[in-house]
Amino acid sequence: MKNPIKRFTSHVLIVSILTLGSPLPYANAAMVGTAQVATENAQSDRERVLAFMERDDMQQQFQSLGVDTQTAKQRVAALSDAEIASIAGKLDMAPAGAGLVGAVVTVFVVLLITDIIGLTRVFPFTRSLR
Amino acid sequence: MLTRLQTTPIAITLALLLTACAAPQSRNLLRDQPAHIPSRFELTQTPFHPQERYQCGPAALAMALGAAGVDIEPEQIVPQVYLPERQGSLQVEMLASARRNQTIAYELAPVIDDLLTEVAAGNPAVVLQNLGLSWSPRWHYAVVVGYDLAAGEILLRSGLEQRQIMRLHNFEHTWARSGHWAMLTLPPGQLPATAKEETFTQAAVAFEATGFNASARATYAAALSRWPKNFTARMGLGNTAYALNDLDAAAAAFRQAGIDHPDATAAHNNLAHVLHQQQHFEEALTSARQAVALGGPLEDTARGTLAEIEASMTTHSIQQRAR
Repeated sequence: MKNPIKRFTSHVLIVSILTLGSPLPYANAAMVGTAQVATENAQSDRERVLAFMERDDMQQQFQSLGVDTQTAKQRVAALSDAEIASIAGKLDMAPAGAGLVGAVVTVFVVLLITDIIGLTRVFPFTRSLR
Repeated sequence: MLTRLQTTPIAITLALLLTACAAPQSRNLLRDQPAHIPSRFELTQTPFHPQERYQCGPAALAMALGAAGVDIEPEQIVPQVYLPERQGSLQVEMLASARRNQTIAYELAPVIDDLLTEVAAGNPAVVLQNLGLSWSPRWHYAVVVGYDLAAGEILLRSGLEQRQIMRLHNFEHTWARSGHWAMLTLPPGQLPATAKEETFTQAAVAFEATGFNASARATYAAALSRWPKNFTARMGLGNTAYALNDLDAAAAAFRQAGIDHPDATAAHNNLAHVLHQQQHFEEALTSARQAVALGGPLEDTARGTLAEIEASMTTHSIQQRAR
């Protein structure tokens, strides 16, 4: 009972698609909004990571790890867009206030950055640059 | 020359400053006074609204908005930002409310130098302070309207005080405990004195979402006057012109975006869309094909645009033949 209905429906669909051309793309045709463009900007991720590294609490973390911030920043500038994006994704979890959670995330991000640029080796999932 | 007797108290004071609670930015600022701003400055014209009970957020915002030329009373802002349960206002809502009142909400970098530079440029800054301790906070919004580096002081419109004088060191402590949060409310089309490219274009994009298209357009234009190659601002200029039905300007902006950023699918797609609407079919077709060829995450959109143009070209030619 079900099969003939299915077959009929699919036939109708095939015929309508063939005769009307391809109506599907019309649904997508649109102007691309500014916000959509802005979020795709890989450059912004890079700037966010660098700005984050300038923060006082980050500087302290780098210092306590014996990492020269200037060197670290130069290396971050050399990271690929994808690597930058993975760090930038973590930044949103790090609030400005230095609560307990904030501090833990900050340390995590610092170690992630130093791991990626090859100064530390804490996480197994990071790939060192050197 | 300083004698031993004179230097000892200085050394002790310094040691205390360093160990107890350092206000590093103020210390550097007062030691090496920056040459790019006057050593003292005051914005006397910034209006004053004394705060009602816990409503320092609306009061501070009304003062900053007033300085930007938006005449508004704190009571009008209360429903936009005040949370009665929390007896306060959240930072995101302060930013959103500034935009709703047709100003560009710009978050400053966490740097006192930037704060003072903005004030010296005529832009009072709303700051969030924690007047209490980190584990027992007392949040407070105030407006920075001046400073005197020689005296080591900062001037605020704060609470019930029209001209609160605070030691810069003290201010830094209270400000640092809020995460150095500060914002400007700028008239559309004006750049902050300490404008950062990414921060400003993001502020402009957030402002565009409020729907004040003419103001947003002026804001993108201002951004482009400083950073002519900025892709987001160029696209914003085109999209706001399009929203205002200025198709020629929109096409010009998208065309420029495509020249500056040849790989940007969005620029070619939007140009095709506008040219299509202007019935410049051949050119529209070229741009749409470019967009499709570039592909990327916007490929479906570009294919849609191309299909639309092709469809209306068919209709158009049928109509032509019928005549």
